[in-house]
Amino acid sequence: MNSKSKVPCIPIEGSISYEDWLKGRRHRRELGELVAPGVIRRKSSSSDRRLKKLFNGERGLPFTPTEKL
Amino acid sequence: MDSEKIKSALADMTAEQDPTVKSLKMASLCSALWAERGVELVVVGGSAIEILTEGAYASGDLDLCHANKATLPVRERQEIMGLLGAKGGPRNWEVAGMFVDVLGPVESFAHTPFRRVQAPFGDVLVMKPEDLLVERVLVSVYPGENQTARDCVKKFIAVILGGDMAVNWDEVRRLANLPEYRNLPECEKLVKEIADELKVKSPLHPD
Repeated sequence: MNSKSKVPCIPIEGSISYEDWLKGRRHRRELGELVAPGVIRRKSSSSDRRLKKLFNGERGLPFTPTEKL
Repeated sequence: MDSEKIKSALADMTAEQDPTVKSLKMASLCSALWAERGVELVVVGGSAIEILTEGAYASGDLDLCHANKATLPVRERQEIMGLLGAKGGPRNWEVAGMFVDVLGPVESFAHTPFRRVQAPFGDVLVMKPEDLLVERVLVSVYPGENQTARDCVKKFIAVILGGDMAVNWDEVRRLANLPEYRNLPECEKLVKEIADELKVKSPLHPD
């Protein structure tokens, strides 16, 4: 599978351009979804109070759906 | 960075509704401003994992650490973050609809470089995946089984094995053998599990 990826790889040396990072978002999300559920944001943490206050009872902004990445 | 550029960046970030892009842009802007004063920042923790994997894992805060030995007095930190209209401090602030924590020196054992993303307001350094992987495997098992950490590291490994993020597996093995982690068997087991699911060879199980 390693050599078959068609999206830009985040390299060890050097950098990835913003455009390439954006281009790879959907594929990275899809790879993760092969092995674990979609949204895995923790249900709680020590930052809950401030997070829920800022994000209307949630712990952050909603994630962009995979098909829209 | 002049005040017009900061103003434009803040407007862009405030309007940004994608949490991962917003985090990356915020890291980019903070990194640029702190770098002007000699401090290199690096994204760590869940925010780093999100930038590297799109795992839908992180919450609405961005964790940053110092990547070099430089540090700033409280007064200067407040002045920098004040340029962004931040509230709070001196280690965590509310800025442009999210939270930013600057936690002090980074804890890293890997000899590989921080990963680097050329973000809109300047380069962003991201924690080394070798550290993140071994640490997250540890958290998934100790002090007790942690399903969220397990799901998180499973996605992390899948992105690596899928070829979208490069890691140095020798370094992963070395870290997992360090006294700080001592979790090579757990790392090998989980990497093998994901490799089997994806029908690829496990890099931690050479022939």
